[in-house]
Parts: sequence; structure tokens; C-alpha cells
Amino acid sequence: MTKDEKKPLEQTLGEWKRFIYNPGSGEILGRTAESWGLILLFYLAFYGFLAALFTFTMWVMLQTLSDETPKYRDQISSPGLTIVPKPPGALEFSLNISKPATYENYIDAIKEFLREYEGKKQEHLLQCRNGTFFEQDNIFPKKTCKFSLETLGPCSGLNDVNFGYPDGNPCIFVKMNRIIGLRPQGEPRIVCAVKEGTEVNLATFPKDGRLDLMYFPYYGKKLHNSQCLKSGSFLQESATTIKEPGELSTARSCSPGPVSELQPRSVNRM
Amino acid sequence: MGKKKSEVYSVEVNGIKDIETTNEGDGKEKYRGLKDHLGHKKDHQKELKKELDLDDHKLNAKELEDKYGTNIIRGLTSTKAAEILARDGPNALSPPKETSEIIKFLKQMVGGFSILLWAGAVLCWIAFGIQFAKDKSASMDNVYLGFVLALVVIFTGIFAYYQEAKSTNIIASFSKMIPRQALVIRDGEKKEIPAGQLVVGDIVEIKGGDQIPADIRILASHGCKVDNSSLTGESEAQSRSCDFTHENPLETKNIGFYSTTCLEGTATGMVINTGDRTIIGRIASLASGVGNEKTPIAIEIEHFVHIVAGVAVSIGVIFFIIAVSMKYPVLESIIFLIGIIVANVPEGLLAAVTVSLSLTAKRMAKKNCLVKNLEAVETLGSTSIICSDKTGTLTQNRMTVAHLWFDNQIYQADTSEDQEAQIFDQSSATWASLSKIVTLCNRAEFRPGQETVPIMKKIVVGDASETALLKFSEVIMGDIMETRKRNRKVAEIPFNSTNKFQLSIHETDDPNDKRFLLVMKGAPERILEKCSTIMINGQEQPLNESSAEAFQTAYMELGGLGERVLGFCHLYLPEDEFPDTYPFDVETMNFPTSDLCFVGLLSLIDPPRSTVPDAVTKCRSAGIKVIMVTGDHPITAKAIAKSVGIISANSETVEDIAKRLNVPVEQVNKRDAKAAVVNGMELKEMSQEQLDEVLINHTEIVFARTSPQQKLIIVEGCQRQDAVVAVTGDGVNDSPALKKADIGIAMGIAGSDAAKNAADMVLLDDNFASIVTGVEEGRLIFDNLKKTIAFTLTKNIAELCPFLIFIIAGIPLPIGTITILFIDLGTDIIPSIALAYEKAESDIMNRKPRHKKKDRLVNQQLALYSYLHIGILQSLGAFLAYFTVYTEQGFRPTRLIFLRSEWEDGNINDLEDSYGQEWTRYQRKYLEWIGYTSFFVAIMVQQIADLIIRKTRRNSIFQQGLFRNKVIWIGIASQIIIALILSYGFGSITAMNFTTLRVQYWFVAIPYAIVIWLYDEFRKLLIRRYPGSWWDKNMYY
Repeated sequence: MTKDEKKPLEQTLGEWKRFIYNPGSGEILGRTAESWGLILLFYLAFYGFLAALFTFTMWVMLQTLSDETPKYRDQISSPGLTIVPKPPGALEFSLNISKPATYENYIDAIKEFLREYEGKKQEHLLQCRNGTFFEQDNIFPKKTCKFSLETLGPCSGLNDVNFGYPDGNPCIFVKMNRIIGLRPQGEPRIVCAVKEGTEVNLATFPKDGRLDLMYFPYYGKKLHNSQCLKSGSFLQESATTIKEPGELSTARSCSPGPVSELQPRSVNRM
Repeated sequence: MGKKKSEVYSVEVNGIKDIETTNEGDGKEKYRGLKDHLGHKKDHQKELKKELDLDDHKLNAKELEDKYGTNIIRGLTSTKAAEILARDGPNALSPPKETSEIIKFLKQMVGGFSILLWAGAVLCWIAFGIQFAKDKSASMDNVYLGFVLALVVIFTGIFAYYQEAKSTNIIASFSKMIPRQALVIRDGEKKEIPAGQLVVGDIVEIKGGDQIPADIRILASHGCKVDNSSLTGESEAQSRSCDFTHENPLETKNIGFYSTTCLEGTATGMVINTGDRTIIGRIASLASGVGNEKTPIAIEIEHFVHIVAGVAVSIGVIFFIIAVSMKYPVLESIIFLIGIIVANVPEGLLAAVTVSLSLTAKRMAKKNCLVKNLEAVETLGSTSIICSDKTGTLTQNRMTVAHLWFDNQIYQADTSEDQEAQIFDQSSATWASLSKIVTLCNRAEFRPGQETVPIMKKIVVGDASETALLKFSEVIMGDIMETRKRNRKVAEIPFNSTNKFQLSIHETDDPNDKRFLLVMKGAPERILEKCSTIMINGQEQPLNESSAEAFQTAYMELGGLGERVLGFCHLYLPEDEFPDTYPFDVETMNFPTSDLCFVGLLSLIDPPRSTVPDAVTKCRSAGIKVIMVTGDHPITAKAIAKSVGIISANSETVEDIAKRLNVPVEQVNKRDAKAAVVNGMELKEMSQEQLDEVLINHTEIVFARTSPQQKLIIVEGCQRQDAVVAVTGDGVNDSPALKKADIGIAMGIAGSDAAKNAADMVLLDDNFASIVTGVEEGRLIFDNLKKTIAFTLTKNIAELCPFLIFIIAGIPLPIGTITILFIDLGTDIIPSIALAYEKAESDIMNRKPRHKKKDRLVNQQLALYSYLHIGILQSLGAFLAYFTVYTEQGFRPTRLIFLRSEWEDGNINDLEDSYGQEWTRYQRKYLEWIGYTSFFVAIMVQQIADLIIRKTRRNSIFQQGLFRNKVIWIGIASQIIIALILSYGFGSITAMNFTTLRVQYWFVAIPYAIVIWLYDEFRKLLIRRYPGSWWDKNMYY
């Protein structure tokens, strides 16, 4: 029957033309101007209503929130650790001390990372008491504790601007992520161990990778409006240096020990 | 076969005297018609020529023996027969060429959306390949996704294939009937062998009731009559003898054709053609030359697939371009493209459609419509013209006494299927005499051993009229066989066409009456000629002018009803002339056959099935034109058409008007006549345009005296009017018409295998009313498929929007591709099938059949309403859930915007949220999965609302009843249960991207679900309130 026959091209074209503009009925794309007007008006009204509805429901939802702390913190119940510098790809550092190009990026990243902790920037910060939580529930605005780079020893960048990379004793920084209201129990510290291979000389700073309790707890961005810039001003930072002889430092993994009962789950995946 | 048996008596009323004369010419014309028609099919032209080259009918016995190397007395030897069998193959029609299973399977694999999904899968693998080449640690996500997509295609393909195979199997098992046996002479012995084993040269014996097992040349015949109706549509019995009577092999009397029935007598014949080489075989193979049209629903689904695929691909490409111009890497853009395609394609829909169709097919099978091709389920619903056979379909296919005339009065008899008593006035003494004649002058007998069977169902040995009379008298008087025993038959002259009467002479059961009773029945005018008296109220009165006129009037009236009228008369032979021992001799007729006493008339008809008038009325209100196509006589056809309502009581044909106005037929304006009765002869003369004119101008049409070949012409005529045509048929010759029709309906009882093969549907009870229930189911499924599709398409927007916003606004991905597949193929499957169980919203049999080209399955309104109204609402609800999850975990909406690049950066392990907390990449990833799950749950919750609103398109949910369709609730339960299992059961399997969810997140989208429902109720309310308004036109799908 006719449906099997291919329509000639002109006819198809003609049909399309008529569809785009039909001079007979004044239809553009199958609708008259009036019809288009009506339908557009309808959609305008309908989507206006929908926008209002969505805005309203979002507003109601936002009303249930506090500005200071998120409703739930269950997804980050244990803080993650951040490593600086971050090697490309997997967590494997590979560098050749005779080729500065292989580690220059690392040094730059560390410098960038430590810039916030320079003495000048911390001048106005509070010198807190070591070893105790810095509770300030009733203090407004919240204060931030000073972090002294000296505690990082040879990795502080104060003496060795290259963080030991050219010597084959690279510094790697491990930072604990900020979590609102986190109060570690006991003495939180990050433990590094050699994963495999020969004996490696591994040193951690501050001593034993300890995280001082005075940096806890965190009260959230809004309240705890520290002058500290970028990342975690009051310093759950702990720097660890892997001192290792030899030209190449490969596949060393640093895993933090128990930070009191907080077992950073994210670290396991690192 | 099921056709009316021998037309023993002909009706000769004015104007229809031409039956016999036309018969011959008509028959020839038919073959020519066949030839002409089929001649168009080039390939078969040669075949047909060969058929006519047959010259076996001209040969004598000796020549035949030589030609086929056989012996007429001893038959073939077994070894020779085996040889020929090996050479020619079995004597069976080869079934129509089936597409091979592999092809069928592959078709399922590439049909519909499969191509799109395959493309998606391949793109996934390519993307992974590139990623992997760049970075050996590339994530395997894309590989998984590719495999999932491939699996989806393969599983839905297997599923569709399985569904189709299942429905094909039903029919296959159905057509495998008990193999017929043939009585053959081989090695000088008579043997019963399966008819399939017959070979050319075999000598076969046939007897009354047998189907002729192959084309045979008759060698000896004993009153053999055959019914060639399956070949020619001619229902008159034709005698067969060994004489060469006609040049044309189809006309000569000494050839018996394969699959025709031997009605009575016996014959011996030599097999001259077997299997596909038989005449019937050749015609059957022609049926495969008639193109099989695509079913309307297949066209609709194709149309719909095109729309959806078009939308998917164009949105995909647009956003691919947007993504690239937004400086996304090409590889990522490709992955977006895949996501968009997957979100847009309703993966589970085609499977749901198949299941819905097969559910309906099952329901129809229960109502005696066996559907061979799933798609035909819907075709029946869109039918706008039904070309129906008369015999067996509209009628009961058995002659029944309809009227009686005695004592100058017409009595009506009960013709229903299960009559147990007749209620007309039986007190007259004339009736006593008439009943005696009816009882005695009848050779038909009940087959013994049927005492428990109801009378109307008992099997009778005898022709159709005699059977009718036997049953009629049995119903009224009880044990006829016993009555006959008491009135011993002493002589008998059976009916023959020259005498046109049948007589028998009996002793009477009155011991005091020693007279013989001569009873006679036959063509009324012949009977009347032989009478000099007429019985009125039990008294013999001389037959005068006025009583003869009364007879004429009655005869005309009954004949005008299309009934076969029989006259009855009797004579008590005087005892003195015909003593006990009188030797009656039927050859010399040594007894009086004139001056008899006329007793009455009985008229017979094959009455309409009692359910048919109702069914025809239903068709009429459903806007379906019912056309009767029959090989029967116009008067009979018209009478039946009138009695079942195909021609309504007050409509007239051109001839009727002419008669009423007393003007010649030519002067009548044809448009004034609603009805038309078209004779096969007239049809032959008609040009295509004239036929079209008839079909357009008359709403009530009867085609009478048509050959099965003309059926094809009628079907084509109807299809030219853009109608969806259903055709019923049973004969082999109907198969081209059945194939050509949009839906061919074969008769399950009377139908030949060839007809069943060619048909899309088999009517198990041969009843027209079953077609109408089928139409109802077909229309319902069309409506329900609309609902299913609307339901399924809606959530595609809610699946698509996340990708678009993800690309444009750079938020973390709200829903993953695999999660989408769990909606499409998980939670949504059972609900979309549940909609197939939805009851009709209003009387679907009160509206016009849908227009093939205008009433689409998926129209603009449906697509717009699903996509742009409910779909957008759903997206908003889902986004609310998404934002709720993120915000409550610390990422406020403002923080989320354009966070994507950092969010997805695996190097950033301390991403700050709105509250200054820092997130590692794994914590973020897990949060993202919570987002997926909540988005998924939100869509699921709103799909429940969507499911409920889709129950109706116009009525309020409360009008339809929330609980009438229980399956909907199973569907809703399945949605919730599957979602619960995915969230809580598989929450720990990372590859699935599901997580456990806080309880309250399950309820976030509920306000939107309620809004969806309210909005749809509002829409329906306005549609009901303001039919035809702008709203109705734009919002009713």
C-alpha cells in the first residue's frame, strides 16, 4: 500500500515547509499565533506556580536547619586525613634526587600549604594551653589557637626550604580534616609505619605524630570565624617526615595509628 | 467441512430462478476471477498455468496406470510407494515459511530502543578504553555500565522473544491435530495409513464424511458427492463420477480435490497430486505472496520509539555540544551523553507492553479468541470494518425449522441453539398428520449410543434438511426412531433433483387401520402439483383457487425470508387396492403419486446465533461496519442480515426503494438507500471506483454469492477507505483475504489449516459475538497502553533533569545511570503492567474506532503532559529530596553550585562544606550515593502518585474506584518493597550505588506526590466540565 512507497523528497520538504509555516491556516510549527500565545501563557503561569512551589518547599526545608552546625554529621563521624603534597594518581611518591623536576611541584605544594601558618599570619591568634580541649561554648566570638611551625622540626621549612627533598629525606604532611564538635579521647596521634621492604628511617613531627587537644573542638565556620585562611587554621596539622636514605623513595606508606578511639576510616582507603 | 451441506431442495421463487443457471457460469467465472487476480502476482503466474495443464482427467484408466506406474486393482507396491514418498515428500501442505528462530531473536536484539542502548554500551567501553589508555587506574564504572546496558538489551530481547515464542506455540499445538487417515490399496491389500504418507499413484477409497486426502482422479464412484466450498465457496454439493465432463480440470466431475469433503457415497480414486502440488496447496502458497501488513500497534510503537529516540538523541547531542563548549573534556561529555540517553529511554517499557499484550491475549483466549500474533490483540480494537462470513459465524451452521404453514396459517418455530420444546399451537388435527409425514418421510437417523446427549447436540446421519426435520420432530414428539419402527417402511424413493420430491410408504401403527400411508415431501410447487385436496383443520378439502392462492402467499412469504421451503402431503392408500402383501415397486411406481392431500409447509433456515444480533448492535454503536460476505443466495443472505441487524429493520436497498416507489431500479438515487445487497456477479462487473462508491455510500452491505476470491477484492476495497479491516474465513481460498486483512480471523471449528495459518487470530467457537468481545479487549488495551506509556515516560524527565542540571549548574550528580536503570527495570515494571488490568473508563464500545492516522498511541498531548507537566513536577520533588540530603549533611544549595569539578577531584581530600567541615573524596562519594538513593526514592514515591493518576484519563479517580484494580496495589507494593530492598538490602554493595537512608528522606517527596495527584484531578475536572475547550484539546491525551 501507499505507506510502503517512499515519498519523493520535494513532497517531504514541502510537508516540512508547511509544518514550519502554513500560509493557509497561518500556523507556525503546527499552531496558530493565538494558539502559541495561549500555550505559552499557560506554561508561563504553570511554571511560575511550580517555581513558587519549589521555592516554598526549599524555604521550608532550609528553615529547619541551624546556621551553625549541620543537622547530621554521620557521614563524617571520623575525620579524614589529607596528605600534602598529593602525588599524582595513587598514593605513591616517586622522585629522583638528581632530577629536581621530579619533586619541585611537591615543594611548591608544601610551601603553599604552610603559608597560612607563617608567624605573621598567626600573630593575633591565641596561645592556648597544650594538652587540653579549648572549650569555648559560651565565648563569642570563638577564638583560634596558634600553631607554631617549630613543632614540625626539620619539616617546618624554617631551616630547610626544600623540605629535604634534594637530600632524599622528603617531608610529607598529613592533616586531619576539620569536623565540627569533634573531641578526640586520649592522646590523638598519627602513627606511621613502614609498609614493606627494608628498614627505613622514619621520623614524625611533632613528636610521635601527636595532635594537640587544644585544637579541638571546632565550632563551625560561622561561629569559629578564625582569621586563618584556607585550610584548618587551628591546626590539627601534624607533619611527618620520612627520612630515608638513598636516591629514590618509593612506595612508602604512612598510616596513622589510633587517634584515641577515633579511627579515621578514610585513611584506610588511602 | 463446516459449510452448509447439500442443497437438496432449491427454492424457486420469482426472481431467483436463476440459481442453477448462474451456478455453472458463476463457477467458471470464479476461477477466471481467481486467475486474473492472482495473475498480478508475477511469480505465481507460471504455477497457475501448470495447474491448468493438468490433463489426468482426460486420460482413461489404462493411460493413468501407465503414467503413474500403478495398478488400479492392486495399487502401488510398498517399496515403490516409499520411493515416491522419498522423491515427492509427504502429502501435506508445507507450513508457511517461518523466519528462522535466530533471525527472530536477533530482530528482538536490535529492535526498538536496543540500538540506542547498544550504542550507549559501546560508548561506555570506548570511554573506558580511552581512560584506561591514559591512566591505568581508571575507574571501572564505565565498564560496569556498559555491561549493564548490554545485559538490559539482551534480557529484554530474550524476554520479548520468549513472549512471542510462547504465543506462537499455542497456535502450533493447536494446529497439530490428529493426523488424518486414508484408506489406500497397496500390494493388493487395503490399508489405513496416515494421509501424509500418500504418494502419487496410490489408489484410495473415500466414503461419505471423509476429507479427500489428496487430489484424486475418480476411478469408480457410488453416488459420491463432494463439498467443494473450501475451494470454490460454492456450498452446493457436487456429484463426482469417473466421467470426463469438462475440459477444465476444476470443472470436470472426475477429479476430487485435496481437503474437500466427501458428503455421501463412496468413490475410488488415484492420487494424482500430493501436498503443495495439489490445487489447494498452490492456492495456499499464494497466500504467502500477499504481503503481510504491519499491525497498527506495531506502527504505533514504532512511532513512539521514534519520538522517544528522537528526543533522547537530540537532547543528548545538544547537551554534548553544550558540555564541550563549557570546556568539559570530550570524554566526560560522552559519558554525559550516555547518561542522557539512558535517562531518556524507557528501558522497561517495551517489555511491559509485550506483557500487557500477552495478558490481554490470554484474556481473549478465555473468551474464545486465540491470538496468534500478540500485536493483533490491539488491531482488533481498532477495527472499523468487519467482513464476516455468514455460515457458522453469524449463523448456527445447521438447518433448523423456522416456520410452519398449515391450516392457512403461519406458525413460528423456536430456532434457538438449545431448544427443548416447541410452543406453537399443536392442537390442530392437521398438525398430527403433518408431524407424521415429517417423521416418516425422512431418512436421517440419530447415530446410536447418544441417549444422554441433548437432542440438538446429537449427531445425525443424513443431510442438513432431514437432520433439521428429524430434530424438530424429536423435540416435539419424542422418540422418533421408535415411531418409525411402529410404522414400518415398505417402500421409498429417495430425493433426486429431477423428481424434486421424496416419498415413502409405511404401514400405520393403528392396528385397526390396514391401509398403507404414502408420505411425500419436496419442493412445494411440485408437491402442490401432485395434490388435489388440502387438509384444513384435519379435514380434507378440495384444492380450489383460494386455497392455492393462500399456499402461494405463504410460500412467497417464507421464501422471501430466505428460508428453504418444503411441502408435505400424504395419501392413505385404499385397503382394497393395496392389500398387506402388495408388492410396491419404486422403479415402476405401481402406486399413485397424484391426487394426494396437501398438508402443509415447513421452512428451514440456518438460523442466526442467538448472541449475534446483540453483537452486531454493539458493533454498530462502536462505529464498526459489519459487512456480510457469503456464498449464499442474496435472499437468504439478506434475510439473515436483517434478522441479525446487519441490515437494520428500517433501511432499504435500492431494490426495495424501487419496489416501494414502483419505479425501475435505475431511477432510484443510490444514496437514498442505506443498505445494499451486492451479488457476486455484479461485483465482478464493478470497477474499483464503483466498489469504492458502494462501500462509501452504503452503511449496511451484504455481498452474496461471492467467491472467496472476491473477498480479497472486498478487503482491498475497504482498505482503500483507510479502514482497519477484520475478515473472517474458514476455507483455503480465504487465506489470501485473511492475510491481506489487517486482522484475519480463522474459524477454529470449521476452519482449514491453511486459513488458520494465514490468520492472525483463531475464533475457537466460530462465533461472531466472540469477535466483538475481542474488539472490546483490543480497545481497552489500547487505552491502557496509553496509560502505561504515559506512566513510564513521566519519570524519564525526572531522570533526565539531574544530568542537565549537573552539566549546566555543576552540582554533584543527583542520580547515577545504574540507579536509573533500577527505576526503569525495577520499581516501575510491575506498576506499568498493572495498568493493563485497568477497567474501561466509560463504555468503550460506544465510541468510534480510532482513526489509524489521527488517533495515535502516543500523541502530542500525552508526551507534553507527561514530560512537561508531571515530569517536571516529579523532578522538582526529587530535587527537593536531593537538596534536603545535601543540606542536612552540610552542603547548602549555594555551596553545591559549580562545585562539581572539586567534588569529583580525587586529589582533594579536604573539601570544605558550608559549615567549614572537610570531606575526603570517599566521604563525598558516599554522600553522593545517599543523594542517588534519596533521588531514587523520591522518584519512586512520586511514581506511586503517577500510577494512581494514570488509572484514568478523564474520570476522577473516585469515579473509577481506587480499589477496583487490585493489581495496581500489587504494583505499588512492589515499588516500595523493591526500593526498600535496594536501599536496606543492597545498601552495602558499592557497585549498586545504593545506601541506607534515614527514614524521613522517604517522605520528602510526598508533598509533591500529593500535588501531582491534585493537579491531575484538576486537569480531569476541567476536561469533564468543558469538553471541546482549549483545555480539553491540549490536556486530554
